[in-house]
Amino acid sequence: MKVNAKDVAAGVLLILIAAIGLYLNQDHSLGSARRMGPGYMPMMVFWLQLGLGAFVLVAGLFNGPDPLEKWTGLDSVSMALGIAAGLIAWKAAPLLGGFFASTYNAVGVGMMVGFLVICFSAGWRLIGYVCASMCIFGLLLEKGGLMLALVGTIFVAAAAEPEHRARPLGVLGMTVFLLALCWWIFIKQLDIRVSVWPQF
Amino acid sequence: MDLLGNLAHGFAVALTFDNLLFALIGAFIGTAIGVLPGIGPVATISLLLPITFGQPATTAIIMLAGIYYGAQYGGSTTAILLNLPGEISSVVTTLEGYKMARNGRAGAALATSAIGSFFAGTVATVLVAASGPMLTSVALSFGPADYFSLMLLGLIISAVLAQGSVLKSVAMVVLGVALGLVGTDVQTGQQRFTFGIPELSDGIGFVAVAMGMFGIAEIILNLERPEARSVLKTKVGSLFLTREEFRRAVPSVLRGTVVGSILGILPGGGAALAAFGSYMMERKVSRGRAQFGNGAIEGVAGPEAANNAAAQTSFIPLLTLGIPANAVMALMVGALIIQGIQPGPRMVEAQPDLFWGLICSMWIGNVMLLVINLPMIGMWVKQLQVPYKYLYPSILVFCCIGVYSLNNNVFDVYMTVIFAIFGYVCSKLKMEPAPLLIGFVLGPMMEEHLRRAMLLSRGDPMVFLQRPISGTMLAIAAIALLAMMLPNLRKGKEAAMSG
Repeated sequence: MKVNAKDVAAGVLLILIAAIGLYLNQDHSLGSARRMGPGYMPMMVFWLQLGLGAFVLVAGLFNGPDPLEKWTGLDSVSMALGIAAGLIAWKAAPLLGGFFASTYNAVGVGMMVGFLVICFSAGWRLIGYVCASMCIFGLLLEKGGLMLALVGTIFVAAAAEPEHRARPLGVLGMTVFLLALCWWIFIKQLDIRVSVWPQF
Repeated sequence: MDLLGNLAHGFAVALTFDNLLFALIGAFIGTAIGVLPGIGPVATISLLLPITFGQPATTAIIMLAGIYYGAQYGGSTTAILLNLPGEISSVVTTLEGYKMARNGRAGAALATSAIGSFFAGTVATVLVAASGPMLTSVALSFGPADYFSLMLLGLIISAVLAQGSVLKSVAMVVLGVALGLVGTDVQTGQQRFTFGIPELSDGIGFVAVAMGMFGIAEIILNLERPEARSVLKTKVGSLFLTREEFRRAVPSVLRGTVVGSILGILPGGGAALAAFGSYMMERKVSRGRAQFGNGAIEGVAGPEAANNAAAQTSFIPLLTLGIPANAVMALMVGALIIQGIQPGPRMVEAQPDLFWGLICSMWIGNVMLLVINLPMIGMWVKQLQVPYKYLYPSILVFCCIGVYSLNNNVFDVYMTVIFAIFGYVCSKLKMEPAPLLIGFVLGPMMEEHLRRAMLLSRGDPMVFLQRPISGTMLAIAAIALLAMMLPNLRKGKEAAMSG
């Protein structure tokens, strides 16, 4: 038996999402085939997805081998720690009050902490830094203004690339260039409604 | 004569200053991202979607369309000069094009590709103009059941033709439809799968899905691969073709145009498939087939004409039926809906400026591209010297600002992050994101038509088989699915996809 681990994982993922969908769909009335309620289409779609997921899974047991990329011990540990730290930070952030009390800021803090923690292992560094850089944008934009948010995003994103870590001067030059470019396009030309400088 | 009148109206629209300017900007950006490997039209268009909201609908679509067909021109440049396909659709161009460059005929290959593309683009534009109103009048007689079946057919063919396993692609389509269910139920107003989040009551943001799965996930994947870029060593040389080359290229361009136009209309088709199809054909039927592998001009002329023809004709199902044929067209649907225009057969009548203006601007855009590409080839090649390490932070920053400015809400930024991770996981598991996006766009429309059809038929599902149009569509869909079960056909597809 040559197991295609990618297909098996894909099948499991599809089945899982479908199962969650079917569970949540219990709240919606099905109606009849003639007069379909809000739950009718989701019911059909998720059952179909469940079936397809099962097919993918079963077929995956035989059409391999296609193994998943190996996780090192550090990968698994930092992923577990990252998820834990993210959840704790998400729940703990509102306790700080003020800025952190709003729902999405707490979510943003949680996500960013989680993404930064998984960066401990080299395997997650790229996805961790890239996603964290977007979260820091979300966190800084409304209070800190566009310029500060951009600086944060660029610095965190640059950390993903080893060459940038070795030569920070290039990052500075890129930051200045991008700040000027974004100001010209988004503030000068398109005039989007966002504060440019920090608000106190 | 009506067609001429409409075209005149279209040119009047397309030749206004703004529309000309944005057609040029679109063509320019398209060429730029076409030249650069690692960033394609899907990512770029989703990136620029938020910026287009402030523009009139016609101008916005003209610019976005320019990016798509501009990328077909740009992609061939690096394929020929550096053996580096800028886009998937120019992968086959590397096979013969780079050989021609090594033989000192780089200029001729570039000229063939640009002129072939231009010719194919012109023919395809005429085809869109001629078939648009015709198909529209057919589509107006469609009932809800026919629409449902048509969309189902589109989804199935797009899954069948997608790269990789058909089973997984169909599953991705269904997953896309499922994601499209999130939000307020149109008929009862009930919230579905929103988890009490007010931002989700309008459904998951289209831009967040597209940008996350195509833009951000792509960045992470590109960073994982070590950068491999060669410097231009070959000389471009004379752009003029010899008489012999010209004689050999002409029939290939003609064949490529036909193949490309047909494959472009098919759901799930588009530029990449057209280029592969044309290459296969040239290798079998062209007179220079013995020279394939040593820089045969037919292998450049055919695919290049085909990919540009397909880029244009893939607008036909979108503009006449409101059905996206590929991921780029799904983005166009998104752009139209955000502009308040429901894509469908009534668009030709209700939005003549948009329909005819777009068609005429496509032709004008092709003229512009010819000028942008041939004399300025050196500039585009220089652009390759910008390393990806400086490019990706810029893309990220544009994504962030763009997605935020949609609703001025940071929620969309976090949503994009979630879909970036999801897209990354999908690519690790070899699940194609493109069918998901098409399913996501078509899902809500399908539900509406399904419910309406079942109401009209009093709950009898046989209506989908009894109506002739609907029945035919379902039969084709079933045949397409069954055909892919045959091992021979599947192998043929795999061979075509891997070049």
